[in-house]
Amino acid sequence: MEQSKRSMHLQSVIYALIYGATYLPAVWLLKHQVFGQPVSIMIAVVPVITFCIFIYKYIKSFSAMDEVKQRVQLEAVVIGFALTALLLMVMFLLGLCGISNSLWFGYAYLVCYCWLFYFIGWIVSKRKYGV
Amino acid sequence: MKNTIKVERAKKNWTQADLAKEIGISRQGLNSIETGKFIPSTLLALRMAKVFGTTVEVLFQMEGDEDGLGE
Repeated sequence: MEQSKRSMHLQSVIYALIYGATYLPAVWLLKHQVFGQPVSIMIAVVPVITFCIFIYKYIKSFSAMDEVKQRVQLEAVVIGFALTALLLMVMFLLGLCGISNSLWFGYAYLVCYCWLFYFIGWIVSKRKYGV
Repeated sequence: MKNTIKVERAKKNWTQADLAKEIGISRQGLNSIETGKFIPSTLLALRMAKVFGTTVEVLFQMEGDEDGLGE
């Protein structure tokens, strides 16, 4: 039982890494327009698929966690989501004011900020519950 | 919310790891409950009471005005 829980958790981490490993090269290839449009679309779909698999594995792993770990993950996701939404809102409002820097806050970076905010939430929650 | 998990555990001569295994949670999770940082669900509290052969009321007590009933 304990072994299968650990294996589920490990699987979600592995799929997160696979997602990262497909996302970054895909962004690079699409940014530098190495291939034509049909191939580019196929490349763009790959990280979407790996992300969906990761989310599926993450939810499965979440259901196998004990309630303290579930709370930590839930708070991490809530903090990550709230901070990402806040960033989006600020960027949108600044955009309306004519102040925006797509070099720092473009769509590509938004994913990275989302992950960063999740990890901030994770650390905050872990410290809160002493896990 | 205060609890007597540590006392009950000492009576049985169990480590946190032993109790955690009995009730099916992680040792860190149990430590979080024992130190009062996390309040467990009813199911987990009942499970804990069962392994100690006691009641939830003995294991967990409300402090001050936590009952929310006022004066």
